[in-house]
Amino acid sequence: MRKHILALGVALALSPNLMAQKIGVINSMSGPEAPIGENISNGIKLAEEDLKKKGINLQLVWEDDTGKPQISMSAMEKLATRDNVAGVVGPYTSACSNAVAKLAEKYRVPLLIPAAAKEEITRQGLKYVFRMNAPADKYASSLIDAAASLGKPKSIAFIYENTDFGTSTTKTAKEYVAKKGIQVVADEPYPKGAADYRSTLAKVKSKNPDLVFMVSYVADAILLMRQSKEVGLQPQAFLGAGAGFTTVDFAKERAISESVISCTQWTDDVSWPGAKDFGARYKTKFGKEPTYHAACAYASMIIMAETAKSAGGDRAKTRDALKAGKWNGIMGEVKFADYDGFTNQNNHQMLVQQILSGNYETVLPVQFATKKAVYPFPKWK
Amino acid sequence: MAVFLQSLISGILIGGVYALIGIGLTLIFGVMRVINFAHGDIMMVGMYLTYLLFTLMGIDPFVSVLISFPLMFLFGGFLQKTFINRVLNAVAQNQILLTIGLGLVMSNTVMLIFTSDYKILTTSYSSSTIQVGGGVSVSTPLLISFLITAAITAALYWFLLKTDTGQAIRATAQDRDAAQLMGINVSRMSIIAFGLGAALAGTAGALISPTYYIFPQVGATFTLKAFVITVLGGMGSVVGATLGGILIGITESMSAVYISSGWKDVVVFVLFLLVLLFKPSGLMGKSRT
Amino acid sequence: MNKTTLKALLGLASLAFLLLLPRYVDSPYALHMMILLFLSVSQGQSWNILGGYAGQHSVGHAAYFGVGAYTTMMLMHAKQVVPWVGVWAGVAAVVVVALVIGSICFRLRGPYFVLASIAVAEIMRLSAINLTTLTNGAEGILATEIPAFKIGERLVTDFSTKVPFYYIGLFLGLLTIAITYWVQHSKLGYYFQAIREDQDAAHSLGIHIALYKNIGLVISAVLTSLAGSFYGIYVGFVDPPTVLGLDVSVQIMLICIIGGMGTLWGPMLGSLVLVPLSEALRSNMITEGLVKIGLVSADSRIGLFLKENLSHAHVLLYGILVVLVILFMPDGLMGFVKKMAARRHREAV
Repeated sequence: MRKHILALGVALALSPNLMAQKIGVINSMSGPEAPIGENISNGIKLAEEDLKKKGINLQLVWEDDTGKPQISMSAMEKLATRDNVAGVVGPYTSACSNAVAKLAEKYRVPLLIPAAAKEEITRQGLKYVFRMNAPADKYASSLIDAAASLGKPKSIAFIYENTDFGTSTTKTAKEYVAKKGIQVVADEPYPKGAADYRSTLAKVKSKNPDLVFMVSYVADAILLMRQSKEVGLQPQAFLGAGAGFTTVDFAKERAISESVISCTQWTDDVSWPGAKDFGARYKTKFGKEPTYHAACAYASMIIMAETAKSAGGDRAKTRDALKAGKWNGIMGEVKFADYDGFTNQNNHQMLVQQILSGNYETVLPVQFATKKAVYPFPKWK
Repeated sequence: MAVFLQSLISGILIGGVYALIGIGLTLIFGVMRVINFAHGDIMMVGMYLTYLLFTLMGIDPFVSVLISFPLMFLFGGFLQKTFINRVLNAVAQNQILLTIGLGLVMSNTVMLIFTSDYKILTTSYSSSTIQVGGGVSVSTPLLISFLITAAITAALYWFLLKTDTGQAIRATAQDRDAAQLMGINVSRMSIIAFGLGAALAGTAGALISPTYYIFPQVGATFTLKAFVITVLGGMGSVVGATLGGILIGITESMSAVYISSGWKDVVVFVLFLLVLLFKPSGLMGKSRT
Repeated sequence: MNKTTLKALLGLASLAFLLLLPRYVDSPYALHMMILLFLSVSQGQSWNILGGYAGQHSVGHAAYFGVGAYTTMMLMHAKQVVPWVGVWAGVAAVVVVALVIGSICFRLRGPYFVLASIAVAEIMRLSAINLTTLTNGAEGILATEIPAFKIGERLVTDFSTKVPFYYIGLFLGLLTIAITYWVQHSKLGYYFQAIREDQDAAHSLGIHIALYKNIGLVISAVLTSLAGSFYGIYVGFVDPPTVLGLDVSVQIMLICIIGGMGTLWGPMLGSLVLVPLSEALRSNMITEGLVKIGLVSADSRIGLFLKENLSHAHVLLYGILVVLVILFMPDGLMGFVKKMAARRHREAV
C-alpha cells in the first residue's frame, strides 16, 4: 500500500504541467478575526482567477484556523503531510503565523505570510518563512517621521487597543519617540470594542498633547474620532495606525475623519503596477473596496503560485526561488531580504496618507505623494 | 474638574444603554431562573434589524425601535417556546450551554447572511454634540437614547406594577409553583418575559447603533456586562438592573480616568465579586437562597 | 468470561494499541490529531472531577489552564527554566489561585457560582493583558526552542518530532482518567456526589462541605494546569485570548456535557466526538468525503455550494449540534447510551 502511494507521489511530482499547482491557504475564515480574514480570502480568489488567465491552474486547499494557533497548526500539519502542497499562503493573525512558521521550517514547506504584523515572526532566522507586509515597527516609524517632518511636535499621547497589534505597535512607537525627543504624556490601552472612550479622551485632552497616536484595527477608529470631536481634543495631528483608520467607511465619515493622518501597506491610487486595476476589479467582484490585506494576499498568492509552478512544485526549489526572486506588482517592488535581524522579510514601503476632502491621499513618501499634507489639524467645527 | 464632569456625564449616559440590556436579562432570569448567555447575541440581532430598516427603508434608528421592539418580542417568544422551555427543569449547565449554542447559531447565521464586515450606521446626528459649558459636552444621540431608555423603563414599571399580566409575571418570578397553583398560566408568562427581555436587548442594540458599529460577534462583550449589571442590581430586580447599569457606566468611566483604561474592566469585575461576596442578593434584590 | 475481565482486557488492548500507535503511524497530522484528542480528554476529565462529580459547574476553568500554561512559558522564556520543572511551578501557582478562587466562589451557589467563576477567569485574562512586564501582555509569549530533555547526560528526547508529545499527552490523558477512577471509587467520590445531590443534606450528614469542594477544586485545577502547560509547550505560543479566554472555559465544559458528566467515559466519548468532528467540519473534509463517495459531484451546484459555505458554517453547525444534544440527549452521549442499553435490557426481559 505504502509503495503504491509512493509511486503515485512520484508520478504526480513528475508531471507538474499536467496537474494543477497545489497551494495551501490558511486563514481566519470564521471566529473573531473573520472580518479581516475575509479580505484575505477575497484577494486570494482574485489571484486564482488571474493565474488561470495566465495558464496556471491552481488547486487551492483552504484551511480555516478560526483565529486559534492550535487549529492553524492542525491546518499546517494537514497541508504539509497529507495534502502535499508546494507552498502555503497565510495565516492571517500573528499568533497563528507564529505557531505555523516553526512547522513550515520543520516540514520544509515554503510559507508566505501576507499580512501578520508581529516583528518576531521573521526574526527567528527561519529559512522557509517569508513575509510580504511590513511589520509593526514600520507603522510607528513612518507616522512619527511624517509628523516630525511636517511640524515640531514635543509631546505625544498614545491610545491603542490592548491587542497584540496595538501593544507591539505602541511599544516600538515609544522607543522611536524617545530617540526623537518627543515626550509621552499619556499611555492608554483600551479593550477592543468598548462603547465609550469619552472619559479616556477627556483625560488625554487635559494633558494637551501635540500628537495623538491611535492604534485601532477595527471600527473603533470611528468611535475614537467621533468622541475626540465631542470632547474637543485638539492636537497638531491625529496619527492613526492600523486598518481601522484606512477603511472607506472611515473616510466617508467626513465630519470626523478629515485631515487624519494614517499609514497603510497599500492603496489603490499608488503608482505600483496594477494597483488601480486590482482595486477596480475587486470592487466589481466583491462589491466593496479592497483593504491592504486583500492586496497583500493577492500579491502573495501570485508570487507563491508562479514560483511553485516554475519550480515544478518542488518545495526546496520553490524556497530558493522565493529567496532569489524579485517581483514588481500591485505591492510595488517585492524582495525577500535579510536585514536588521530579519530573515526573508520584504522591506515594504509604507505609505503615509491623509484624508483630504473625504479621500485618502498619499502625502509621504514624496515620490508617491498625490497631495500636500495639511498640518496642523484644523480646528473642529 | 472638567475631566471629572465629562466622565461622570458620559458614564451615566452610556450606563442607560447598559441598564436596558441588564433589565432584559434580569426579567428572563427572574421568571425562568435561566442565565441567558445568548443575550448579547439577541442584542446583535436587534442591531442588524435596525441596520436593515435604516439602509433599506431609511427609517431612523430611534424611530425603528417602534418596529424592532415587537419583532424582537416575537423572536424572544419563539426562542422561549421552542428551546428554553424544554430545559427549564434541567441542570444549570445544560441551560447555559443551550443558550451558548443558540448564541453561536445566531451570530454565525448572521455572519453567513451579512458577511463579517463591520457595518456602520451613520445618521446626520451621529457626531453631533451639545456643549454644556465648562468644556463639557454631551453626545446628542447618546442623550436621545438615554431619554428613550428612561421612557421605556418607566413604561415597563407601569406594566409590571399596574397591569394584570405584569402582576402575573411578578408572581411567577416570586414563586413559580405558587403562581401555577393560583391559576396563572406560567408557561405563557415565561414566553412574555423572554419576549420582553429579547425586545429590550434588541432596543438597546437599536439605540446604540448610531454611535457604535455592528458585526456578528458584537454580542459577547455585552453579555458579560449584562451579567455584571444583573447581579449588581439583584437578579430579577428591574429597579436594581437600572441602577446597576448606570453604576457600571460610571465605574467604567471613572476608572478609565483615575486608574487606567486598560484596567477598567478589571475594576468592574472586582466590584462584581465584592457584591457577590458581601451582598449576594444584589443592591436591590431580596435575599433568596 | 465475566464482564469485569472483559472490560479489563478491552482496556489493556486499547492501551497497547495507543502505546504502539506511533511505531506504525508516522503521519504527523494523525499524531497531531491524537495529541489534540489527549489534550481534550485531560481537559474534560479534569473539569469532570469538579463539575461532574462534585456538581460545581465552573465556567472559568480557563483560569487554571491559562495560569499553568503561562507559568511554564514565562519561566522558560524569561528564566530559562526547563519546562518539566516549570510545569510544577505552574501547578504550585494554580493551587494558590484555586484556593483563592475557592474561598470566593464556594460561598456562592448555582448561577452565582457560575458567574463568579467567569468573573475570576476574566480578571485573570485582563491581568495577563495588562501586566506586560510579567506576561508580555497581549503580544503573548513565544517559545522559539524547547530545550532537549536529558536525564544526567543521556538524551531522552529533543522534541524534534511529535512522538514525545504524543506520549506525554497519552500519559496526561491516562493520569486524569486514573485519578477520576480513583475519585469515583474512593470516599472522596461519595462525598462529592453527596454534595452534588443535596448540599444541605450532605452538610447534615457531617460532611465538611467547604473542605471537600476545595479538595475537588484543587485536584481539578492541578490537572487542568498540567494540560495548560502541555498545550503551551506543544504549541509554543500563549497569549491571553487563546489560553485564558471565555471560549476556552466553555470548550472544556462542552467536552463533558456532550460526552456525559459525572461518568468516567463521558469526557473520552465527548472528545472522541468533538475533536474529529470539529476538524472535519473545519477542513472541509465532509464535502470532500461526499464527493469521493459519489454522493455529490464536485462541480455540481450543491458541491460548489458546500465547498464554499461548509467551512464558513462550521461554527454554525457546531452550535446546532450543541443545541440538539442539550435538547435531545440532556445527559450527554453516555446518558443516551445507557438509556438505549436499559431499553434493550427491558425489551429482552
